[in-house]
Amino acid sequence: MKHAHLASWRSGAVASLVALWLMNSVTASAAAANDPGPLRIWTRSSNDGRKTYDAIAAAFTAKTGVRVEYFNATTDFEQRLARAAVGRDLPDVIINDGGSLGQFVNMGIVAPIARADIVGGADLHERAWRTATLPDGRVFAVPTSAQAHVMFIRKDWRTRLGLPVPQTWDDLAALAKAFTERDPDGNGRADTYGFVFPGSTARGYTAWFISSFLYQAGGDFVRQGADGSSRGALTEPAAIQTLSFFKRLLCDDKSVQAGAINATTQEANRAFISGQAGIYLSGPYHISLFDKEPGADRVEVVPAPAGPSGVRATLAGGELAFITKTTRRRADATRFIEFLISPEGQSLGTRPPQGGLPVVRLPVNRNLDAATAHQDPRWALVADEYLQHGKPLPLVPNWARLQQVAADGFNATLARCSSNVAADLQALNLKIDAELAKQRVRAR
Amino acid sequence: MKPNLEHNVKPYDDPAQNGRRSFGDALSPWLFLAPALLIFLYFKFIPMLRGVQMSFYKVSFGDADEWVGWDNFARVFTDEALRNAAGRTLLYVLVTVTLSAFIGLLLAQALQGTARHMRILRTAMFLPAVTSAAVVAEIWRILYAPTPAGVVNTVIGWVGAAPQGFFSNPDQALAALMGMHVWKHVPYDTVIFVAGLAGVNRELYDAAAVDGANAWHRFVHVTLPGLAPAITVVLTLGCIRGFRVFTEVYATTGGGPAGSTEVVMTHIYKQGFQELDFGYAAAASTVLFLFTAIATAAFLAWRRRGKR
Repeated sequence: MKHAHLASWRSGAVASLVALWLMNSVTASAAAANDPGPLRIWTRSSNDGRKTYDAIAAAFTAKTGVRVEYFNATTDFEQRLARAAVGRDLPDVIINDGGSLGQFVNMGIVAPIARADIVGGADLHERAWRTATLPDGRVFAVPTSAQAHVMFIRKDWRTRLGLPVPQTWDDLAALAKAFTERDPDGNGRADTYGFVFPGSTARGYTAWFISSFLYQAGGDFVRQGADGSSRGALTEPAAIQTLSFFKRLLCDDKSVQAGAINATTQEANRAFISGQAGIYLSGPYHISLFDKEPGADRVEVVPAPAGPSGVRATLAGGELAFITKTTRRRADATRFIEFLISPEGQSLGTRPPQGGLPVVRLPVNRNLDAATAHQDPRWALVADEYLQHGKPLPLVPNWARLQQVAADGFNATLARCSSNVAADLQALNLKIDAELAKQRVRAR
Repeated sequence: MKPNLEHNVKPYDDPAQNGRRSFGDALSPWLFLAPALLIFLYFKFIPMLRGVQMSFYKVSFGDADEWVGWDNFARVFTDEALRNAAGRTLLYVLVTVTLSAFIGLLLAQALQGTARHMRILRTAMFLPAVTSAAVVAEIWRILYAPTPAGVVNTVIGWVGAAPQGFFSNPDQALAALMGMHVWKHVPYDTVIFVAGLAGVNRELYDAAAVDGANAWHRFVHVTLPGLAPAITVVLTLGCIRGFRVFTEVYATTGGGPAGSTEVVMTHIYKQGFQELDFGYAAAASTVLFLFTAIATAAFLAWRRRGKR
């Protein structure tokens, strides 16, 4: 009895010692954070994009001796950042798409940048610098990559049906309908669709995706005055025309991939890759992805179509590198960004290693030419679209918030075929104005 | 929380040694609990308390948080979107809990017994309950594919019904979600009912039969009262599960289309992680937690009174 009792006492003590040790190792690893260690960089990129960033880091480390540690994610990137911020454990550098500029500034996690202090900053396109600048002129990031949306079409399907490359919305709708109804893959089953639409409200995808079409109709989300103040523009005929066009695809022609209204961009990518649907307006970062599947010989890259009154436009954007407010390694962070925007860094970014994806789509450095940097004529088309027809998202203090409001509204209108587009947009425009007022840029 | 130590006191112990021994006696259960408690403390209790604390602040990411008192809680009670989500969640809970308890009870009647084939059947039937919600969501998205060739659409096509939109249709998405939820949780309820049925005294059935009770009477007057504890467990767990439903919704519709499946948890998640309003999300979570705790306690108290 006594032995058993003692034994149980002892094993209890052992168990709590183990627990103490566990806690100790937690605190020990926290103490190790005092050593500067590698420069910590977070990028919103896939593992294939990460391979390219790894190559850039290797070249940077060879040059400077500064080691780099990446974290990459494509889903919930901003959420992870928010968690890291609350845990007071932010990285030194964040590389994310331009739409997050206002959001990061609002979160108070990124530090302002003095353009003159960035070595090589003067070599960057002014157009690219503008994507890193808030309406009030403050700069909070350095542009590292630019892009314009282009249209990916299943060339094999289109040629089998003997249809031309779409030039207008009507052409586009007709091709989408034909892809849906005329069995373009010839497997004898009605299992294909025309148009890929990421309609989910997650990250504001609905509005982000529709923006190109809104611009082609001659519309915009907001109209800006000379003083930088804005008002909602979704009551304009162009917005009504745009959503009506989407309703036509979704409700009348039913030529959009199944489940589009809830689809995130990842699901939309899958719909195109798996041969579920054959027309996808998307970023040029998908060129190499779609080269693997459905395959380079099956996919053609063409310009976005013209709107009803002949306006050519497509969403233009890019990637930005931010330096966090909390970093203790601002000098190293700046050196990394300077390397990334240098001709060497930009070239490495456009030419991914085996299995990688380009993380620099169009070089932001004036000394590099997109077509020659990529050694691929399709990129010349992207560069042309960017320069001729590229239109950025509106410059407001916090675009991510506004995009979410627009996405919720667009999604609700498109989810119901019985919806009244004009009335819905009228109501949505009030919400846009309210959000602008919250951001203190609403025009009187 | 305090462990019950009474049974450790040994009447034949030498009183002289009792002082030393009882110190060890008092300590050893805590030492055994220590690893689990420490882990819970670090990964559960401290984060929970931190959440409650956060609900009194406007959480700022770059600078110090700003104390806002009860502001976040005031917003919780005036947020129209949250109220709509709460209404939808309530409907979701009522329908799914009732339906899965009802179906579970029927299945339990069919599946009770100790025959070998019953055990195999019960195991097979339990599989949905042990499958992770994310996997279930992915499976049902395929089943509910809103195309004529979709699995469910094919099945309803056999009886002449037109293809439906399910998750893509704002008028059907919530019902479709409920269907998925019921499918996943019926097995769970069934198992609890099977266990409950095994505990009902067989002699009562015989006595009832002798008294001339038919099958329905036996069910109402013997089975149901005998199952009361099991029913309590099923309803309580079902409600708790229902009120904090998240994965099933997030992984299928994400709250859409047109916000038709936005439940309390997805709304809170979006406030927290999309709008990055941590303070408000924490306040709403605290209210949801208090509501669940109070509702559960009230229900259990009511059950206890009923028993007396």
